[in-house]
Amino acid sequence: MKKQPEDRGSELRALFFESANELLQALNEAGLELEARPTDEEVIRSIRRAVHTLKGDSAACGFHKLSEIAHELEDVLSPQVGKAKGAGLAEIVLAAADTFEAMLSSYQREVEPPPVEGLRAMIRGLLAPSEKNSAEQAVAASDEAQFDWSEYERLMISEALHRGETVYNVALRIDSNSVMRAAAFQLIRNVLHGCGTVIALRPEDNAAAATVEIVEAALASNSPEAQLRQRCKIPSIVSEVWMERATAADSADHELLGELLEAQAEKIAAATADHDEANAASKSANPNSVAATIAESILRVDAARIDAVMNLVGELIIGKSMLHRALTEFDKTHSRDPLRAKMADALAFQSRVLDELHKSVLKIRMVPVEQLFRRFPRVVRDVAKHCGKDVALEITGQNTDLDKGILDALAEPLTHIVRNAVDHGVEPADERLAAQKPVRGTVSLRAYHQGTQFVLEIKDDGRGIDLDRVRKHAVKTGLMKQTDVDRLPESEVLNLIFEPGFTTASEVTEVSGRGVGMDVVRTVLDRLKGTVHVFTQLGKGTTIQLRAPLTLASIQTLLFRVGGRLFAVPLSSVVEITRVTDMEIYRVDQREVLRLRDQILTLVRLNKLDRIHAVETPEKKKKNFVIVIGAAERRFGLLVDQMVGEEELVIKALPGELVASDLVSGASILGDGTVVLILNVPAVLSRLSRATPLGAIA
Amino acid sequence: MAQFAPLLRKDDKPVRYLVVDDSVFARKNIIKMIELFGGEVAGEAGDGLTAIAEFKRTAPDIVLMDITMPQMEGIEAVERIVRQHPDARIVMVSSVGYQENILAALQKGAKHFVQKPVKPEVLYEILRYVLADDPTAAGAPVALAGEHRS
Repeated sequence: MKKQPEDRGSELRALFFESANELLQALNEAGLELEARPTDEEVIRSIRRAVHTLKGDSAACGFHKLSEIAHELEDVLSPQVGKAKGAGLAEIVLAAADTFEAMLSSYQREVEPPPVEGLRAMIRGLLAPSEKNSAEQAVAASDEAQFDWSEYERLMISEALHRGETVYNVALRIDSNSVMRAAAFQLIRNVLHGCGTVIALRPEDNAAAATVEIVEAALASNSPEAQLRQRCKIPSIVSEVWMERATAADSADHELLGELLEAQAEKIAAATADHDEANAASKSANPNSVAATIAESILRVDAARIDAVMNLVGELIIGKSMLHRALTEFDKTHSRDPLRAKMADALAFQSRVLDELHKSVLKIRMVPVEQLFRRFPRVVRDVAKHCGKDVALEITGQNTDLDKGILDALAEPLTHIVRNAVDHGVEPADERLAAQKPVRGTVSLRAYHQGTQFVLEIKDDGRGIDLDRVRKHAVKTGLMKQTDVDRLPESEVLNLIFEPGFTTASEVTEVSGRGVGMDVVRTVLDRLKGTVHVFTQLGKGTTIQLRAPLTLASIQTLLFRVGGRLFAVPLSSVVEITRVTDMEIYRVDQREVLRLRDQILTLVRLNKLDRIHAVETPEKKKKNFVIVIGAAERRFGLLVDQMVGEEELVIKALPGELVASDLVSGASILGDGTVVLILNVPAVLSRLSRATPLGAIA
Repeated sequence: MAQFAPLLRKDDKPVRYLVVDDSVFARKNIIKMIELFGGEVAGEAGDGLTAIAEFKRTAPDIVLMDITMPQMEGIEAVERIVRQHPDARIVMVSSVGYQENILAALQKGAKHFVQKPVKPEVLYEILRYVLADDPTAAGAPVALAGEHRS
């Protein structure tokens, strides 16, 4: 079907905005890198590439204002400017990223883009002095010239020197106004040949000349140097001439060819080592550079489409479960029917494929949390700069995968928490010094998986949360009465910061403390069926821990019965299943334990745990099943009455008011309509460790 | 227009130019500049063939040659002139789009090129440079007079 032109246009624009946002992200990252290493040519080149792409794309979409300003920026981005301006260039790049972003959002809303005069002035300001200052440029040209002649060329140089000729290393900068680079290069070549014998020339041919700015040559000539300089200063072609006499040290002696070869080999080895080192450095500095190189095969799909597939797969799994049950019943009545085996085979095959399908679809949705993290270096830098603080950001676990939907939902709370950490958490320099802390504050982001949960920790080494201030503030803002506040336990006091409208910042700043505080964080996490925990130590710092389910989809579980009720645990946390008699169970410290292969295992009866209203087992059985469950390094045994089997469950998160216990993380519906409660393993573990002395859980 | 110090030959006579372009307007434009530089128009041509004939007849100090012309293109004219007069100083005049042709002309022996639209100050510098190449020319600093060519 042929698309309407305007339809295609809008699709193109949607694509443009998407890719433009990525470019802005890249620009932001590169800007920060440039701030750290202002003379890094590779960074400048990458900025230039991003700006160039943005320029082209926006022009193609008819966003000329953006295209023009991008063009101006691209023009001034050169390693020379980087050298001359240092961090000033980074400042402009970051400002440009902001301006571009504002323009993009205007274009997206189809309103007139904001004025760009501020940015333009900055760009021009960058250009003007460096053009005037030719001495500075001369230095740059000689810096850039490498005179990296080949072995043969070095031999030629040395021969010419032996003949008594003078050899010059010449570097010529092609005038930036010269549009016809290939022609310019040809003319330079003509002139050099007219001046003497050209021993070596870089670039070597006209085609390569299209992109170079500096032409290097080794020239043997008997003309006076001043005259050569004059000849090389070709009007409208060459803007700058740099010339030095080549010495024997640059060249090689005939007899010393072997040595030369060796030196060359060493040089190559050194260069390779350098390269490796640079690689390693760039890897550590920019962990997503690998991702950047493989980004070409990435397909953009609307998340809603994936969700639709995901839902269908979920339905299929329930369907499979229904079939399974039907087959089991069929089994009982027609155990000899040959059709049974055929059906079982087909079902097994189907479930295997379904399993793969499910995993594949899940993988589509899972994205590394790095996508979210990478905006934070900029956030931290901006906020820190605004508050006049020096704050470093540490990021770990950026490769942790997370459902895209959850990731997107976490973006806002995380931004808020990080801003808070920098703005309120980290103290001003003098306060830090007084507290004998390093002046530079640290905010760290850490992501990891724990069981079926995704954990995100935001930690700062700042002043911590002052509980007294929280209490006072709660009273002041009318959140609670003084008498109520006094009765609150400490852990509850900390929870006050999640109340709507609560902020302890003494003044409302631009970056945080706008009154929409931590309550947003909690609202989002509640929606995700996640949790927020705050750990704080006065004077030491604060850690905020966000927990969210890894995915909104299904998990493999083990089904079992306790007291007539059906439960499930994630199969991934099951270590083993064993059977024990009552004789083997011992009582230690009011806990039932089991000796399992010389290891002491704490036993848990679900019906003994809080608020799990499982009915007491009617009679004492001789043999019990024990499911050994492990999370992290800790293990416990779950005493169950009956094993039911493995089942893939599509988790339906339960609304808070339905579940009174945090020991249950969700529920699911089986093929026959039975409701299963899914046990929250980490919660059970933490309950255990609170109720028993340390070390009781082996 | 800005003032330019006259470009003169070594014998203090005005530099003589051959202006080759198929557009009369372009020729007039160039000629105006030449006069501004204190030069003298030795001849004009509207195509390559005429240019060769005119070169023989007038023996100019400098040829300003357009790239695209009827009957014989600038490149071929350059090649033929340089073959017969290796010391001929030809400056190509062309718009940016003809980089390939300029490249070819430079390989055939053209001394320089100037981009259309021609700016007088640019052309002046180029002419000064090209004239300096000649030991008999005087428009250039004296130090260049005895330049060695290998």
